[in-house]
Amino acid sequence: MLTKKQNLMETIKGGNPDRFVNQYEFMDIILEVPVQLMCPPGSEFKNSWGITFRWPEGQLGQFPVHDDEHKVLKDITEWRKYVKAPVIDNSDEAWAAAVAHANSIDRNEQFVTAFVAPGVFEMCHHLMSMEDALMALYEEPEAMHELIDYLTEAELNYAKILIDRLHPDALFHHDDWGSQKSSFISPAMFEEFYLPAYKKIYGFYKANGVELIVHHSDSYAANLVPYMIEMGIDIWQGVMTTNNTPELIKKYGGQISFMGDIDSGVVDFPEWTPEIVAKEVERACKNCGKLYFIPNLTQGLNFSSFPGVYDSATEAIDKMSKEMF
Amino acid sequence: MTKITEVKAKVEAGKAKLVPGLVQEALDEGSAAGDILQAMIDSMGVVGEKFSAGEVFVPEMLMAAKAMSKGVEVLKPLLTGTSTSSLGTCVIGTVQGDLHDIGKNLVAMMIESAGFKVVDLGVDVSAEKFVNAVKEQENVTIVACSGLLTTTLPAMKETVQTLKTSGLAGFKVIVGGAPVSQEMADEIGADGFAPDAGSAAVKAKELVSA
Repeated sequence: MLTKKQNLMETIKGGNPDRFVNQYEFMDIILEVPVQLMCPPGSEFKNSWGITFRWPEGQLGQFPVHDDEHKVLKDITEWRKYVKAPVIDNSDEAWAAAVAHANSIDRNEQFVTAFVAPGVFEMCHHLMSMEDALMALYEEPEAMHELIDYLTEAELNYAKILIDRLHPDALFHHDDWGSQKSSFISPAMFEEFYLPAYKKIYGFYKANGVELIVHHSDSYAANLVPYMIEMGIDIWQGVMTTNNTPELIKKYGGQISFMGDIDSGVVDFPEWTPEIVAKEVERACKNCGKLYFIPNLTQGLNFSSFPGVYDSATEAIDKMSKEMF
Repeated sequence: MTKITEVKAKVEAGKAKLVPGLVQEALDEGSAAGDILQAMIDSMGVVGEKFSAGEVFVPEMLMAAKAMSKGVEVLKPLLTGTSTSSLGTCVIGTVQGDLHDIGKNLVAMMIESAGFKVVDLGVDVSAEKFVNAVKEQENVTIVACSGLLTTTLPAMKETVQTLKTSGLAGFKVIVGGAPVSQEMADEIGADGFAPDAGSAAVKAKELVSA
């Protein structure tokens, strides 16, 4: 039996996997970094960039707050006045937990995985609201290029620390680039503004020992796949059924792999049942096949919003492995 | 190209800086304010169709709406109170328990561009708040309920049913958002469903004209 890591490599290289890669099993994701990413439900916090996030009780996640009082970037032409990259605590003490976690992982079995969120696109709209960020691409393109360059540099500075401290084998990087039906911006605009940033970021990780780039965008983004390949993404996690995953596998398999095709919204809800999950898993596995595909809930981490759904999907994928391999 | 055709083209292209001047030139040429407004509404209809077809994206739609709004500013003093909102008022909001606002904002923008007055209640809006808005606002013809999360579908159902049993009349309820389908809209008793912002404006007009 192949190790989780070997099985992943066989799957994405078009070799001979002996089972489906089961969701996030190949990555051991290190979240114990000294950067606060989330607040608990029912609370709010201001992150190190000054962006306020609120997670109201009963909601499924946190949202950036963009009223006049809380919006960080009020005028894109004056971004230098408002946007200040935080200084990352690089002390041994701050990184002790993350390093201990990385050291505890068997690198033959799993990828030691660094986690980065949000990415450059989301940072732009977290700082200034989606509407402002998207209109600025037309109205103030020079300032947007400058802001994106600045955010990219900040990401690279963090990447240096992550690499130095954890020596990760993989990167799991979040940046949502679309709604469920379309990309937020046109491919041409993406190519102009965001592709160069990601070529730098992912190129840096790859040049520094990171073998595997896994990018999360639980959305439609089929029209951006050529750019994903160009920027060095190995696995697009979060691919929704709206992308026609089997067609993407046929078209791009071998250059990039696809992880998802089990839309969280369809299986992860209060009245979920193991039968619903099993049906979706079976559909995904049978439609997408054994290569260049990892069956997975589209959610961006290894859990579900409602207890039991993620584990139920894991069981159903094991069952499909027995049936199809 | 007549000035009014140029206004139409520049709204569609999202040229917010050029549109006000062109609107003024069209007026100077003798075009009626109502005709210029209609030309801009038609442009936004085209933008909405292109968005539905995946030919343009959110930034293009935002820029077109901004261009139209700059043009409307020039026309406003010349238009009677009713002609800018002849289709009535649309009360819009994201249903309770859901904080997503991008889709809702796009729908609000497209519905406003189609000629409705829009009252945006924001996100996490209770059924009671929707009902109160219908009572408080004048000539409400459309109530639009948005929701992105599967988990908020029960709240959408409750909102639609509360509106329908409120005893208030004269308006139609449309629903939309990623997990919403025509089938689901029918099941919860909504009058209309739209899969995206462009078709939401078309559906709203269709329901009001019916």
